[in-house]
Amino acid sequence: MLEINNLIYSVGNFTLGPISLTLEKGEYLALFGPSGSGKSLFLELISGIRTVQSGTILFDGNEITYTPPQKRPVAMLFQDFALFPHMSVIDNITFPLKMRGYTADEKRKRADELGGYLSIDHLMNRSVEGLSGGEKQRVALARAIACDPAILLLDEPLSALDQELREEAIALLTLVKSSSRAIIHVTHNRDEIQELATRTQYFKS
Amino acid sequence: MFLGGVILLFLIAPLVGMFISVKSPELFSTLTDNAVRSSILRTLLISALATIAASLLAIPLAYLLARRTFPLKGVVEAIIDLPIVIPHSAAGIALLGFISRDSLLGSVADSFGITLVGSPIAIGLAMAFVSVPFLITSARDGFAAVPIRLERAAETLGAGQFTVFREISLPLAKRSVISGLVLMFARGMSEFGAVVIVAYHPMTTPVLIFDRFNSFGLDYARPVAAIFIVITLLIFVILRIYQKR
Repeated sequence: MLEINNLIYSVGNFTLGPISLTLEKGEYLALFGPSGSGKSLFLELISGIRTVQSGTILFDGNEITYTPPQKRPVAMLFQDFALFPHMSVIDNITFPLKMRGYTADEKRKRADELGGYLSIDHLMNRSVEGLSGGEKQRVALARAIACDPAILLLDEPLSALDQELREEAIALLTLVKSSSRAIIHVTHNRDEIQELATRTQYFKS
Repeated sequence: MFLGGVILLFLIAPLVGMFISVKSPELFSTLTDNAVRSSILRTLLISALATIAASLLAIPLAYLLARRTFPLKGVVEAIIDLPIVIPHSAAGIALLGFISRDSLLGSVADSFGITLVGSPIAIGLAMAFVSVPFLITSARDGFAAVPIRLERAAETLGAGQFTVFREISLPLAKRSVISGLVLMFARGMSEFGAVVIVAYHPMTTPVLIFDRFNSFGLDYARPVAAIFIVITLLIFVILRIYQKR
């Protein structure tokens, strides 16, 4: 599904790569390594937020190295969730659907589905500002999977959570594992991905 | 504290003195004077239209300055600040040369039967010239305060660059953009130096105040000045309330 070949990216004195890896449907790849090793940068390159300087990224055999982020079959869950503070929960969740031209009914239906699936249906009309850390994560996850992306990138999804919320979040991530989706989960904590990952890879600094 | 009080007194005393000196019958007759009313309306309308027209170009420029680095960016920012530092009468002279019949712009307008000098268009141009830096600066600071992360997140969720600007950046910078628009409007409507050069007639209120003072003295100009200051103060108070909300 996803094929990365000799990917290199430099910023300042730091160089990431060359990295090569492949990821198949249904795989849950955990990339762990110390802070500053370039894990988040790697996810940004796959998502298209940053542009690769050397190397290729292919999806199902098609090159997407220079495809803009909005056209990639990729969604990302950011470490700080990156929820839009001026929008309600439902507007956050349906934002990717709005970008793809879904009708109001379609958006509502999908929001209801995700709300039930992730137990956030009671939060739909609330502002995201007053939500707890665990609620924000669920909303961010709902938004990321709203359009059923083929590849889900998780940037340190558990690091901002306390122990109790972390266990809850691991249960949540187990839910979103799917045979039609590939997931890359980056973390500096190897222990948290033991129950989740089908494959692990170490990221050296 | 004492020194601060002196400077505050310096700012407020002339205004208070003026309001005390204005007699009610004079104020009433000025309020009902058609020349004054049409001048105030004209000033507000032209400044509003100039603000709206300039914002279509100024706001995208502000976004660019907040988000992009490019060669000579410092020069661009210095150019934006120019209208604040140059004498406004000098700005008026420069604008006059820019829009007169023998200029490129003036001759193109003339070919369509439009004389720019001495027109509301010239007034709008002068107002925009001196006041647009306030909009650009305020909007730029607003856009710079929007976390880039949110814009990047929007891109990963399917938003193109213009959609990111419209759905994320602009709403989150709204307060600063609106403050900038109000500042530009207020500054524009108060402009005298550049406006009086490019268009003495039709008279904006600052020009009318000067004309009355020049022709008939302080007592005749004072009521118009008082009324106009009340209007500008009202706009200022509304802006402060909005900023505090």
